[in-house]
Amino acid sequence: MNVGLEHYLVVSALLFALGLLGVIVRRNLLVIYMSLELMLNAANLALVAFSRFNHNLDGQVMVFFIITVAAAEVAVGLALIVALYRKRETAHVEDLTTMKF
Amino acid sequence: MGLLSFLILCPFAGAVLIALTPRSFNVLFRLIALLTTFLSFAAATWVFFAFHPGATHVQFEEFCPWVGALRIGWHLGVDGLNVALVFMAALVAFAAACCSWEIKERQKEFYLLLLVMTGGILGAFASLDLFFFYFFHELALVPTFIMIGVWGRGENRNYATFKMTIYLSLGALIALIGLIALYVAAGARTFDIPELTRDVAARPIAASAQHWIFPLLMFGFGILVSLWPFHTWAPLGYGAAPTPTAMLHAGVLKKFGLYGLLRIALPLLPEGAQRWLPVLALLCLGNLLYCGLVAIRQKNLNLLIGNSSVAHMGFVFLGIASLSLVGVTGAVVVMVAHGLLAALAFALSGYLQNQLGTLEMEQMGGLLRKLPFVGTLLALAMFAGCGLPGFANFAGEVMVLFGAWGGHTTVVVLAAWAALIVGAVYMLRAIRTVLHGPLPEKWSGVADAPHAWRKLPFALLLAGLLLFGCVPRLLTDRIQPAALTVVRAVNGTPAALMATTQLPR
Amino acid sequence: MTGIFPWLILFLPLLAAAGITLFALDHRAVSARLSIGAVVISFALSVALFVHGTRGETRFNWISLSDGAASWIVDIGLRLDPLSLMMLLVVTGVGSAIHIYSYGYMHDDPGVGRYFAGLSLFTFSMLGIVLATNFLMLFIFWELVGVSSWLLIGFWFERPAAADAAKKAFLTNRVGDFGFLLGIILVWAVLGTMDFGQLQKMMAANPALIGNSTIGIAGFLIFCGAAGKSAQFPLHVWLPDAMEGPTPVSALIHAATMVAAGVYMLCRVHFMLAADALEFIAWIGGITALLAALMAIQQNDIKRILAYSTLSQLGYMVMTVGLSGVGGNPSAAMFHLTTHAFFKALLFLGAGSVILALHHEQDIWKMGGLSKKMPVTFWTFMIATLALCGVPPFSGFFSKDEILATAQRTSPALFALGVAVAGLTTFYMFRLIFVAFTGPVKSQLPDHAHESPAVITLPLVALAVPSLLAGFWGIDRFYASQFGTGEAEAATGWVAQLTAPFAHAPGAAFGGLAAVVIGFLAAFALYWNKVQDPLPAMLGVVARWLRDRFYFDELYAKLIAATQDALATLADFVDRWLIAGLFVKGTHGSVELTGRLLRLVQTGNLQTYSLMFVAGVAVLLLFMLIR
Repeated sequence: MNVGLEHYLVVSALLFALGLLGVIVRRNLLVIYMSLELMLNAANLALVAFSRFNHNLDGQVMVFFIITVAAAEVAVGLALIVALYRKRETAHVEDLTTMKF
Repeated sequence: MGLLSFLILCPFAGAVLIALTPRSFNVLFRLIALLTTFLSFAAATWVFFAFHPGATHVQFEEFCPWVGALRIGWHLGVDGLNVALVFMAALVAFAAACCSWEIKERQKEFYLLLLVMTGGILGAFASLDLFFFYFFHELALVPTFIMIGVWGRGENRNYATFKMTIYLSLGALIALIGLIALYVAAGARTFDIPELTRDVAARPIAASAQHWIFPLLMFGFGILVSLWPFHTWAPLGYGAAPTPTAMLHAGVLKKFGLYGLLRIALPLLPEGAQRWLPVLALLCLGNLLYCGLVAIRQKNLNLLIGNSSVAHMGFVFLGIASLSLVGVTGAVVVMVAHGLLAALAFALSGYLQNQLGTLEMEQMGGLLRKLPFVGTLLALAMFAGCGLPGFANFAGEVMVLFGAWGGHTTVVVLAAWAALIVGAVYMLRAIRTVLHGPLPEKWSGVADAPHAWRKLPFALLLAGLLLFGCVPRLLTDRIQPAALTVVRAVNGTPAALMATTQLPR
Repeated sequence: MTGIFPWLILFLPLLAAAGITLFALDHRAVSARLSIGAVVISFALSVALFVHGTRGETRFNWISLSDGAASWIVDIGLRLDPLSLMMLLVVTGVGSAIHIYSYGYMHDDPGVGRYFAGLSLFTFSMLGIVLATNFLMLFIFWELVGVSSWLLIGFWFERPAAADAAKKAFLTNRVGDFGFLLGIILVWAVLGTMDFGQLQKMMAANPALIGNSTIGIAGFLIFCGAAGKSAQFPLHVWLPDAMEGPTPVSALIHAATMVAAGVYMLCRVHFMLAADALEFIAWIGGITALLAALMAIQQNDIKRILAYSTLSQLGYMVMTVGLSGVGGNPSAAMFHLTTHAFFKALLFLGAGSVILALHHEQDIWKMGGLSKKMPVTFWTFMIATLALCGVPPFSGFFSKDEILATAQRTSPALFALGVAVAGLTTFYMFRLIFVAFTGPVKSQLPDHAHESPAVITLPLVALAVPSLLAGFWGIDRFYASQFGTGEAEAATGWVAQLTAPFAHAPGAAFGGLAAVVIGFLAAFALYWNKVQDPLPAMLGVVARWLRDRFYFDELYAKLIAATQDALATLADFVDRWLIAGLFVKGTHGSVELTGRLLRLVQTGNLQTYSLMFVAGVAVLLLFMLIR
């Protein structure tokens, strides 16, 4: 079987949909966070695939950027979640409604 | 720099100076405000008395082009319509600055805003350029809202501020739409009011356009003057406003709408005026009779004065709607007289509020014994308010009634009832409950105005009322030529008096 | 030189009032001197003008508006003619006596300065009415008189009754002024001028004008003003209450001068009153005279009796103006006004002297036997009473006789009414005399009473002289010269003058005298040496009606509550609940409601947002792909 661009893209779309579903339905901040990462990586996968099949390295460069930014984001986000957990003893979104009107 | 520029820029210069003064120099703010408003007042007095009565042209004119492409310019000048208003505005501003001693918190900001408001008011009345006319008015309005919101009193303060802001912004907005429509419909290439008037006189705006632009201006400006039924912001707002703000707004800034009608709406839209002024004549009964009756029922002194102030606007509307020389002249006289009177009344009620901590009339009584000076002035102000001869209000009101008789007989009958009886009922009721009767024990510590500085603003305003009341020619001779021009422009005939009705056989 | 005199007469009292208000409010002697000085100098100048026989007008322009063709002009001017000259003398003369009396009467009051300022302001305003050359000037001073009356009635403002009375007086007057002002506007609108001289010329040149219906209506409206100020039915209710003011004020303002202003004004504009209006005026005057006389017979307050008597006499005068006919001669009314000013002021001042001696007791049933204790007061009071009743040769006899003679000539019904009123007048006045001054002492108060000091008794004596003699001075002929109808040659000599009325109109003279005798006998029979009023027992419910003034006050209170107060309540309701409530708060509420509804969409839950975001993207994608 010849693996073509479509296969990569379908996997990427499935990963993205899984991530999205996780963001929408899960209630634990940490899991939401992981789902977010999943979506990012779905996009990365698509970019790398495009790059490979179009013989263009721009996509891979882009992926490096995304990985870097995501790393920074993970650091900040995890720190926030940990701080929040220490303060509130929970990482459940339904318990964190202080800022809601 | 001309006198008019001087008297407008003085308060602004004072505002800048206050802004630059460090916060710890509390005394200085008051001094600067007093000094600059006094300079404006002195200049305005000079302008008023040096004004040549009887001449039709604009005097003390100043012109300096600003935005050439749009023909916007710094154009100042006084004629019969605004010379007395400028004088009255400067007098009230000085009195308001004198009355500001009751402000104890954030004096820097208060005096700064007061001076900006004063400058804006004077600018709005002295400008002969449509842009600056509107710009200065807005410049004076904004400090009003802030002052009521920050230094206001009573639990209703926030609601009053919001209500007043929304009403006045709405009125100004509608008027702005009207002005823009007017500008476009006239195909004008200038913002200069005299030039615009000349253009329109040569090439009148299409009648169909006039018929819908005039009501925009009439109701837009009307809301600014608390035309019935858009009046409920006024008593509430004045009740919540700090004394100097109430004096300046009720006394002076409110007259901007009326001045706009006379200066712009009537001469530029004669056809529209002919069609819509009868409506105004009916609505003025809402002010005169209805608000007078409402005033009878008030239990709070400030609400009573506020409602009576709304009621008095009815005379001006009626005078304008009469489209006769006597009526329009009378309307301008009432504008001046009411400015002084409203300022005096609010200054006095502010003093009472300060001394008693309340303005609920049921709790007062017999205060004349403790407050011979303030009480006497309050009684005089009340009498001026119900049209006693000797005060300027009488001269104006009687002229309005005479002038409107020919065109609106029934309205005049009801207006006379409102003026002579309804007015007297609520004013005398107020005197009876506030000043007369036995003195409740708890007010035994109330003190009268202690020294000349405190008495000065009251005395000045009263002196103005008496001066114009005893020698109304000071006003009428100055107003007459301009009023004649307006009336002739609208009626299209040289005869302007609308005097004699034919004798039936 | 005499050109400046009228201006001085007018403005000296104003200067005094202003000077007192500004500088001498707390100095009782200075304020009294300023005020008294001003009115006395005015009186002297008036006498000079009178002797000099000055006639004519001077004026300056107050407001003038003109469009080139027509104009609206108001002048402040002074008009000197027999009518105004005589009134000048009355106002300043009686005024002088009362000013001096006031100094004694008000001596211990802490508000003397305020009192004299008000009195001077009143004098100024009243003189302005007298000298006015046009309607609007008259109206201006008319209002000023109203406000000075308000000031003085409410002088003791801490007493609720006085404060209420002041308010009531001003408002009732304002009702009359409402008609008056409309009448003035109407006159200007149809005739183009407000100047008395010009109007009179216009009327003389075109007699048909007077029959015109519009001018007739104007006449009615103008009479409204007179009815207010002269307290004619149905606007009479304020005058008795006005007795809450200090007694000298009652004497000057609510007996001698201000209330006479209405009569004076009617005489001033008599040339333009149509026949219908005059008949109406006559009947209103007659009804007032009768009603007031009836009410007077059951009052117990010495000042209130005099107040109702004033009402009744004013009714007489107004009736006479009405009876004089179109183009006729109302000088009898002015004559009675003049004599009435003398003797009614005297009565009030006498009453004041009594009140002062009894430490402000005013109930006549607590007096008695005062004639011995206070001889000067009693005898001057007696002279005034006889004058009021119309006993020859007192001044009131002549003026009342002229009134009855006029009535006899023109209207038998009003003549009968006039005679009846004369009888009632004598009855209630002698009831007062018998109860208060003679008979047994009815409380401890009169035991300690003694005669008042000279500053009070001298004005009494000064006023007693004209009360006694004014009938012989030819005042009526002087007034008649104003109206230009050649009166019959005056009788000369005292005796001839005294008998002239009996020769001229014997019916009126003898009728009047008979009424006086009957009234006196009835009073004597009922009240001589009595300690209690026998009338209530005899009349029953009627007496209560009389005492309670036919319940006019209650009726008016109900009427006002049902009309104006109800309207005010309605307006307040509409303002509070409809305009500020339904419309303003409604707009505010509906905007806020929309906001609240929209807010429900904004849950604040990020996951909901992301779901919607995805849904949006999906819809967009679908849209793109299908297209």
